[in-house]
Amino acid sequence: MNGKGRRVVVTGLGAVCATGANVDEFWANGIAATCGTQTRTIRANDGTQITTPVAQVDGFAERAASLGRDIGRADAFSKFAAAAADEAVADSGIDFDNGLGGRTATIIGTGIGGQSSLEDGYINMLSLDKRPHPLTILRLIPNAAASHLSIRFGLRGPAFAISSACASGAHSIGVAADLIRAGTSDAAIAGASEAIITKGALQAWKAMHILSDELCRPFSKNRKGLIIGEGAGILVLEEYEHARARGAKIYAEIVGFGMNSDGKDMINPAVEGAADAMRMALGGVQVPSAENIYINAHGTGTLMNDPTETKAIRSVFGADADDLVVSSTKAMHGHLLGAAGGVESIMAIKAIQSDIVPPTINYDVPDPECDLDIVPNEARNRRVDLAISNSFAFGGLNAVVAFGRV
Amino acid sequence: MADIESALLEIIKENAVGLTGEPTRETSIADLGIDSFAVVEIIYEVEEKLGIEVPFNANENPLANMKSVGDLIDAVKKLSGQA
Repeated sequence: MNGKGRRVVVTGLGAVCATGANVDEFWANGIAATCGTQTRTIRANDGTQITTPVAQVDGFAERAASLGRDIGRADAFSKFAAAAADEAVADSGIDFDNGLGGRTATIIGTGIGGQSSLEDGYINMLSLDKRPHPLTILRLIPNAAASHLSIRFGLRGPAFAISSACASGAHSIGVAADLIRAGTSDAAIAGASEAIITKGALQAWKAMHILSDELCRPFSKNRKGLIIGEGAGILVLEEYEHARARGAKIYAEIVGFGMNSDGKDMINPAVEGAADAMRMALGGVQVPSAENIYINAHGTGTLMNDPTETKAIRSVFGADADDLVVSSTKAMHGHLLGAAGGVESIMAIKAIQSDIVPPTINYDVPDPECDLDIVPNEARNRRVDLAISNSFAFGGLNAVVAFGRV
Repeated sequence: MADIESALLEIIKENAVGLTGEPTRETSIADLGIDSFAVVEIIYEVEEKLGIEVPFNANENPLANMKSVGDLIDAVKKLSGQA
């Protein structure tokens, strides 16, 4: 259990969201600058509805039905997690038998958990005078996805959900890496899942006046807000020597993780908190030349986030901030909220693997407050040795994961 | 009220993953492959479709003392006052 000097690497990737049913599709659409957001009408089972732009996963029903009976009875957020985890585990070629299952953690974040199960239960009770389904609680608890995955793969190490709003995914990956680094676990399934494209949740988000009514345009002067997405991003993490010993394909190393809180405000982000979290993530890292650094920004496309994040990046990197590249991929796949850090970490890792930086799409009016090289509208060929995934949540919770080339 | 026996056999068919073929009164409870989720679902379906209330605690499998599907049908009939 000696954690000294233990390194953590990523050996498997799995994703499902509006712009991809799997990692290959997600990445292909990412570098093709495909916009996955669309105005849609979302209906509740009492007939009420809301029309707003969303980044919804299409054609998932058949796949969900193939995930087995346990997952078939679970909430959509557990189904997304299972689909992405199946892909990540198959991709890694990892075998949890022979004792590894007992040394593997399952850390799956979510901002909300089983939103549609909760909403259906309330509508049944209050509008339709029906009883809630008896599995409502088991469907909606935020740890449902983590529990289902631990059962699905026979994992008996620590398993729990981290819920820190939009930082849930980054926290989950970072904490799982820390568990491996500390020697508590040898491997982990880590990431996050979110499924809140429901009438009630969208109505509540709309009430905050923070949703765009057209496209999501991160760092663009005419940005109007975020667009809610859904899905899951899951990684298989392993202790480096363990991965090497079994000849695993290694995507990247988790070279740093920073987490803190602003301690200031529920809505407005703070430059210092975000900057400190990035500094913490880079603390022990051999930082390459700025030309080889890519930051997958939190970049929500809200009025407040984007200039705050720009200032935070400038504060951390100083003059180098003009030589590194930053992009927000949320304009393509939407804001997956709790799962954002999951799919965006995959973007960061694929950038290292492919030496291509995915773009910030829908960018059309420069904003002097957001004056970094945000790779507008088209992917760029560029060597990436260090990729940083930023997540800054409502409530002032910051989590930053740094991935390095191995 | 629906015919309890046929309604219950239909519910079992839908929720018993271990079942092969059609369930009858003689089918062994052990052969139904009912897990903790399915117990809760079967009881919910019984309550919804047959309009009765089944007193049970989800941590105690109410099927544990029953040997056959016939025992289950009789227990539900008793609860509904039709026994």
